[in-house]
Amino acid sequence: MFKKIKVSKYLAYLFLIVVSAIWTIPVIFGIVTSFRSQTEIVNEGFRLLPVNWIVDNYVAILENTSSAPILQWLWNSIFIATLHTLLVVAVISITGYGYSRMKFKGRDFLFFTLLAISFFPNVVNLIPSYKIIDILGWVNTPWAMIVPGLAGMGNIFLVRQFMRGIPMELDESARVDGAGDFTIYAKVILPLIRPVLIVCGLFSFTGSWNDFLWPVIVYTDVDKMPVTAGLLLLQDIYGNYRMIGQLMGSAILAIIPTLLLFFFAQKYFVSAINLNSGIKG
Amino acid sequence: MKKGLMILFASLVFVLAGCSGGDENTIQFWTPLTGEDGAYMDELVDAFNETEPEFEVEHVVTSDMYTKMYTVLNSGNGIPDLSIIHADRVTSFVKQGLIEPMTGIMEAQPELNTENYLAEAWEAGNVEGTQYTVPLDIHSNAMYYNKDLLAKYGVEHWLDDNVVTFDEMLSLQGQLEEGQYVLNDALAGWVVLAQIQNLGGDIQQDGAPAVNTPEMEQAIGAIKELADAGLMTPYGEDGYLMFQSGNVLFSTDGTWSSTGHGQVEGLNFGVTNIYAFEPTTFHNRASSHLFAMLEKEERTDEKEQVIGDFLEFIRQNSLKWAEAGQIVASTEVIESPEYDEYMQSFFTSTPEQEESLHIYTYEHYPYVAEAIDTYVGDLIHGEMDLQQGLEEMQKFVDDKVAEGSLDIENAETEETTEE
Amino acid sequence: MNNNNFLKPLLFVGPHIILFIVFILIPSVYGIYASFTNWNLIGDPVWVGLDNYKTILTDTDSTFYSQFFNGLKNTLLFVVFSVPLLIIIPLLIAVALEHKDLKFTSLFQTLLYIPGLISISAAALVWSLIFNKQLGVANNLFGSEAVWQTTQPYAWIIILIITIWAGIGGNMIIYRAGINGVSKDLYESAEIDGAGPVRKFFSITLPSIRFPLIYTMVMTTAGAFNVFAQPLMMTDGGPRQSTTVLMMYIRDLAFSHGESIAGLASAMAVLLGLVILVISAFQYYVMNRNAA
Repeated sequence: MFKKIKVSKYLAYLFLIVVSAIWTIPVIFGIVTSFRSQTEIVNEGFRLLPVNWIVDNYVAILENTSSAPILQWLWNSIFIATLHTLLVVAVISITGYGYSRMKFKGRDFLFFTLLAISFFPNVVNLIPSYKIIDILGWVNTPWAMIVPGLAGMGNIFLVRQFMRGIPMELDESARVDGAGDFTIYAKVILPLIRPVLIVCGLFSFTGSWNDFLWPVIVYTDVDKMPVTAGLLLLQDIYGNYRMIGQLMGSAILAIIPTLLLFFFAQKYFVSAINLNSGIKG
Repeated sequence: MKKGLMILFASLVFVLAGCSGGDENTIQFWTPLTGEDGAYMDELVDAFNETEPEFEVEHVVTSDMYTKMYTVLNSGNGIPDLSIIHADRVTSFVKQGLIEPMTGIMEAQPELNTENYLAEAWEAGNVEGTQYTVPLDIHSNAMYYNKDLLAKYGVEHWLDDNVVTFDEMLSLQGQLEEGQYVLNDALAGWVVLAQIQNLGGDIQQDGAPAVNTPEMEQAIGAIKELADAGLMTPYGEDGYLMFQSGNVLFSTDGTWSSTGHGQVEGLNFGVTNIYAFEPTTFHNRASSHLFAMLEKEERTDEKEQVIGDFLEFIRQNSLKWAEAGQIVASTEVIESPEYDEYMQSFFTSTPEQEESLHIYTYEHYPYVAEAIDTYVGDLIHGEMDLQQGLEEMQKFVDDKVAEGSLDIENAETEETTEE
Repeated sequence: MNNNNFLKPLLFVGPHIILFIVFILIPSVYGIYASFTNWNLIGDPVWVGLDNYKTILTDTDSTFYSQFFNGLKNTLLFVVFSVPLLIIIPLLIAVALEHKDLKFTSLFQTLLYIPGLISISAAALVWSLIFNKQLGVANNLFGSEAVWQTTQPYAWIIILIITIWAGIGGNMIIYRAGINGVSKDLYESAEIDGAGPVRKFFSITLPSIRFPLIYTMVMTTAGAFNVFAQPLMMTDGGPRQSTTVLMMYIRDLAFSHGESIAGLASAMAVLLGLVILVISAFQYYVMNRNAA
């Protein structure tokens, strides 16, 4: 019995180490490539460590501040993604509560209809979406990046799914104590769904960070662009990647903020255990 | 927390307030020039703005410019004053009524005329006798050669007449070291389009797209022969990188690649024409960056005045643009001694060279090019039967033309009723 | 009283409904309308009724008929192969990470999450270099002579590899959050009963995370139907258009160099949307029934 746990523990370690190694090698290769010259890349091929470490790629990315103000882009992204994420968390928790814990006629029908509509691939939607942003006067403003994403159904679906796993008895006993819906939402449900809200926040942050077509359409000023769209301006227009190292370098710079966020956020979506004790799945 | 949010919102409102304006007092100039090209253009624009024009030019680089153009044209708001478009878009843009003629600008700036530009670039903007664009450059398909490898295989004499032929390349069959190749398949579609010119063919017949032609068959067939002979880099491998790593004699990419190849230390390379059947008949399929004005009602005469000044400034001062590897369109620049230092000056060194640059201006060229690009890899590498491929390509273009045409007809009838 | 019954839910779901109408419903309805028109994105759409649908679904001679069915077939192939892996691998990882007194869980988790953050163009470049026959390791390691990008089934394999490499992070953390919601008492009492890890997984973990599991299943499938970046970057749809997925054809029709054929592209998108709907509804129905 004791042994069994030990064996399975080592198995878990083995599995995680193997998978992480496979997943990490390409990342390391990408990072290392950003420290190599074009000459070395085309001549040496796949080598885990560069022959000569160079920082020229990063210097080239950072010094071009007039046409590619990468630090400004990073700041823009942080601003947009943060505000967007805070609003998403507010919207999805309230809406998710409405669709899972309140009773009203046609509730599920309404929810699934909205979900179904949101499943249609948006190809030409770009044109009407831009028109709407234009009418609202949001062209070339951060609003165009922050607000439309709040309408998405994916996160609400996830929150609703998690909320369905919380027993209704909790609400009922709170109601007996005289609590209204807002109290139940804020005091009972919100603490319980904190892990999933953090997950959703992370998704929103990453999604907003990685969106590259929409910002190109709604922004005209290079200075106001978020970093992912801005970095596209560094690649040349012919599809031939002239500078492999620079492309890698810029991709790596772009993920640092999201990575930091993930590193700190993960503590919260796994540390919610205590709050959940006593709840049966 | 609440306080923090308030501050965030307040700062946002502040940011938003600072956003409006700007458009009125500047020339909004959109280009698809990402990467280093954009930086060179920035320098040109900055230099022009230092001459203190009535309106400053604001250069906006867009990574997805045509999609962005469609959205603003559709909404009618935020249309740029000036932009750079590619040669293959002109005819279609004119037919759709999206760009304005340059007539007024040319009247104000007498030097902006056909005499002062490379003929092929100037003509690319001429649709049925009206000039719609002023050229910045020609960017052409070009063939880079590895000097060391040419010497190694003793074939430097291939370059004596500046044209490498199919037969010359075939003569190296079976003599290459393992892992080395005579040529790569970079921009294979452009190479096919050059061969069609070499064979005296075209991609249209009486206005209808002509893809399944004897010339197309011969062109693709001849390139396939090179691949079959084991001279071409294998299908799916990165021939561009293989050239940079010094294992390929010839790379058929573009004039703009010279800066990229130049980054590779120890790569001893030069540039010549795309290979051809005969040393006397050779072409390089090219395109061009052209200044154009999208249809926009509120573009004032004062702004047009400044646009004219800007184009004239570029005509005189675009030597900087040569650094991007492009063939500058202004003859004044090309004839300056400094220009000779750039590798691409090869393509304008003689009248014959100038004539080798071919820009397709056929209305449905983009569909034809798309079809060629979709099929060419499978065809030259023998993945697909040539005859079947040609039939599918023809059908591909015909179907697209048929689907796209209804709008044009409709737009034309609308115009006539207005008149 | 009755009035109040509607007002309160409206306070909760109403704000989102407004956002939804403005930013999703209106553009989507416009997209569906466009599918019944001939449109070049710039001018006004011209109503053509069911013409686009007829061409795509019944005109067997048309390029668009063959594009649609070839694209749909390739998309379905991608869905069938990628979705199970995108569910099972992250689930196994999440379960392994839950193991008692395991160290470095944050590290493992972060390492596995990173690939999903890297931009697709950079990721594609890294993998291309790895699979590059001349320079890369894949061929040296596996001793294969083929050029992976242009030989089946390798072309599909590299597309799947990059998809899974970049795609497991999201589901992994959803499962993590889900498993964390399961009471530890359950596991403890199961252990007292002598249950092994496998039995605990099937009798406690899986049932407890059934709702998140349904979510990941439906959303991963819908996402896989929308795939285009990975095949575009890794194989450019080849060889012989055998990895050209439907979204690639749709985007080419609407946004390539020639005049846009947006009406037809919209019709294909609507049809794809219907396929997604039918399959997700089926998935949801089956899984919900089994879970109940």
